[in-house]
Amino acid sequence: MANVTHKTLNNGIEMICAELPDRHAVITQIRFLTGTADEPIDKLGVGRLVQETIDLGTEKRDGRALSDAFDELGASDGGSIGREATSYSCLVLPEYVDRALALEAEYLRTPTFPQDKIDVALDLAKQEYRAMQDDAQSLADKFIGQQAYGNRLGRHSLGEPETLENITRDDIVNHWKNFYHTGRMRVSAAGNITANQLEDILEKQFADFGSPTPAGRDNYDIQFTATRVHHEKDLEQQQIAIAFPAVSITHDDYPVQRIMLAILSGGMSSRLFTEVREKQGLVYWVSAWGEYPRGHGMIFMGASTTPQRCEKTYNTLLREVDRISEDLSDDELDRAKAGLIAKIETQGDTTRSHCSELADDLFHHGHQIPRSEKIARLRAVTVRDIRRYFDEHPRDKLSVVTLGPRILEGAEPASNGSNGGAH
Amino acid sequence: MNNPYTIHTLDNGLKIIIERMPDVNSAAAGFLAKTGARDETPEKAGISHFLEHMCFKGTSKRDWQKITVDFDKLGSVYNAFTSEDRTFYYGWVPRKNITAQIELIADMMRPAIPADEFDMEKKVILEEIAMARDSLDHVAFDFLLQHIYEGHPLSWPVLGYDQTVSDLTRDDLAAYHERRYAADNMTLVVAGNVEPQEIIDNTAKLTADWKPAGDNHHRQTPTPRTGTANLVLERFNQQIVAICFKGVAGNHPNHESIEAATSILGGGNSRFYWNIVQTGLSPSAGAHHMELSDSGLTILYGQTDPDKIEELTDALRAEAKNICQKMVEEKEVQRVRNRRRTTLAIEGESPYHRLVQIMDDVDYRGAPRTVDQRLQAAQSVSANTIADTLAEFPFQGPEFLVSVGPRDWPATNGSSDS
Repeated sequence: MANVTHKTLNNGIEMICAELPDRHAVITQIRFLTGTADEPIDKLGVGRLVQETIDLGTEKRDGRALSDAFDELGASDGGSIGREATSYSCLVLPEYVDRALALEAEYLRTPTFPQDKIDVALDLAKQEYRAMQDDAQSLADKFIGQQAYGNRLGRHSLGEPETLENITRDDIVNHWKNFYHTGRMRVSAAGNITANQLEDILEKQFADFGSPTPAGRDNYDIQFTATRVHHEKDLEQQQIAIAFPAVSITHDDYPVQRIMLAILSGGMSSRLFTEVREKQGLVYWVSAWGEYPRGHGMIFMGASTTPQRCEKTYNTLLREVDRISEDLSDDELDRAKAGLIAKIETQGDTTRSHCSELADDLFHHGHQIPRSEKIARLRAVTVRDIRRYFDEHPRDKLSVVTLGPRILEGAEPASNGSNGGAH
Repeated sequence: MNNPYTIHTLDNGLKIIIERMPDVNSAAAGFLAKTGARDETPEKAGISHFLEHMCFKGTSKRDWQKITVDFDKLGSVYNAFTSEDRTFYYGWVPRKNITAQIELIADMMRPAIPADEFDMEKKVILEEIAMARDSLDHVAFDFLLQHIYEGHPLSWPVLGYDQTVSDLTRDDLAAYHERRYAADNMTLVVAGNVEPQEIIDNTAKLTADWKPAGDNHHRQTPTPRTGTANLVLERFNQQIVAICFKGVAGNHPNHESIEAATSILGGGNSRFYWNIVQTGLSPSAGAHHMELSDSGLTILYGQTDPDKIEELTDALRAEAKNICQKMVEEKEVQRVRNRRRTTLAIEGESPYHRLVQIMDDVDYRGAPRTVDQRLQAAQSVSANTIADTLAEFPFQGPEFLVSVGPRDWPATNGSSDS
């Protein structure tokens, strides 16, 4: 078992570290509590532009020299932005962890945001937006996210063509100044590193980095829209995306929901794979998953099928959710539990998984939840709990998106501003 | 370090390769069938992939539901994939479940191919083919192989075509299985915290009735063509270009050098990234070395708005020419070596990653390599070995160029499709 230390440092950073001394590498994740939900409404996409350009020049060196410096250590770093957080992860050998974090501190604290790099990043963002129109699944994800979460949490990280036009270098610099400071910083680490070592590095590298006052910890509201919208697009297959509200990670019923999702879509014996694909041959791809903005939960279902099978696929997806509470057996429940718990011993035992699990625990719970506790809560779920779950959290509100050549019965065509980019 | 491998061949010809990883809590196992799309005939294109699906659809001991239920009871992370030249079935489980995992996959390797499930699975595969046609990347890759390997079995897609898949019969699959899934054309690979002798003994029992085929099927080494082809697809917004050169085979002594060269050219912190992506010409431009047992292809690719495709193509060519004409700097090579060292350190902790690496080494290079041996091979690359490799397999000169997207570009001599 890893020795885990969680503390708030004098400079305001909240850190958590899992010591795994037998590992040959270290993974760190610096997570700023700011995401697309914090962007000004007329500057959507600015958060991602900060993340994309922050390492393209510092007060000491240009972007290429910075990348070379990471490569000298063999360290690989990368950033990503979500709805409520922006993360910078780094994989490095133990002997170089202090130098790698110093380089991360250099670009996070002293970026110069060169104008020529900003111009390119804006250009690339517009191109990526156009490229997204060629990726049916990503496009369906974008549309269902907007419908399920609403104006704030449903934003896409690429922004919109008209908001990208509004963004200037000043906007990028200001966004960084407003949201990148130690009061919004959480750092998780796992691997061959000690908590004392991590603390020393963070105290040194991030001393006086903006305000240490905790921020970015409040939940945003969701504006869920129960509707069925069709986006016309010339595709071979029709994309179907369904969303309905669910419980959050901190809710008592979260382990029940997690098992319900495993029953629905956890493996090849799960209900969606079995009923939609194997028994009816309606699809190649079908899935259900949960997403968890802080304080909220949302269940998504997705499938793609040739247009003439769209209705049947859609009806089968919903029918399978409803059927769980009708005929779930102890065997099926035990299988779902066994699968979830066993995966903690395989995929969950990698250094990367340890690090991201700590980061997620802090994000949702504010502290670590020991694995033994998570497993015990999964083990305790009964068939009766699953039935009660459906009684107390019925899927009575649905948000549905279809993308393709065939409109579902009862669906509204998308308004002009949000069509599928067909031409 | 002690040799972590146990290598054994059963009397029926089945090879077993086991890597002991005493510090982990899990284990992974996989059966490799050395067969793929290039072992098919054109009228049966897609049969290898179809058979892979049917291995999940029932055996003499289990119906398809029992197969999936048994996998999920073990808590397995499992799947299978088919490529141009191999089919691999794997599962990654807590160590206590490895015996049951091997038994399950071994059973699947002798599929019953039930007629009703065959018809149902055909529908699933036709959906998979339709899904691939909605992906610009997928369409472009299949189009590239179709033209560069025209007339060779590597020219058809792994998934096959609507027509060939529709025409396949259950008997076709059974006959193909008998030839290509014979014991002497298969390998069991295991990595993790396991007892090798126990695995060998159990596998001998499980596969006692597997027969060798002594199949004399020989693969014809492909010769990539040169030329140009374009595919006009107005429903896409972006244009993809790929410029291809003859590459090295997986067992070629220079294969690490060509990997390093493509990384310097089109990997992370690469020349393409700084000189093409970071000039705004393309959101994604890269270099990839596609490796097969007897041949290889170097593919330089990029995606952009249709009106910038000429400029992107010129930029890809200019960088490729530059790396061939001017020796790479030693510090560039050192960066690749450093990155590789860290990646290997993290991959070495996962039985699943080791399983796939060992399978690849055994299939293409004839023997497994430890993490340290892989590291040594990567560290032996230098600016000189890259220069030697590029002299023999240059990224310039005779090439095949494909372009896919809404623009009818470039002008071709009869290789334009729509």
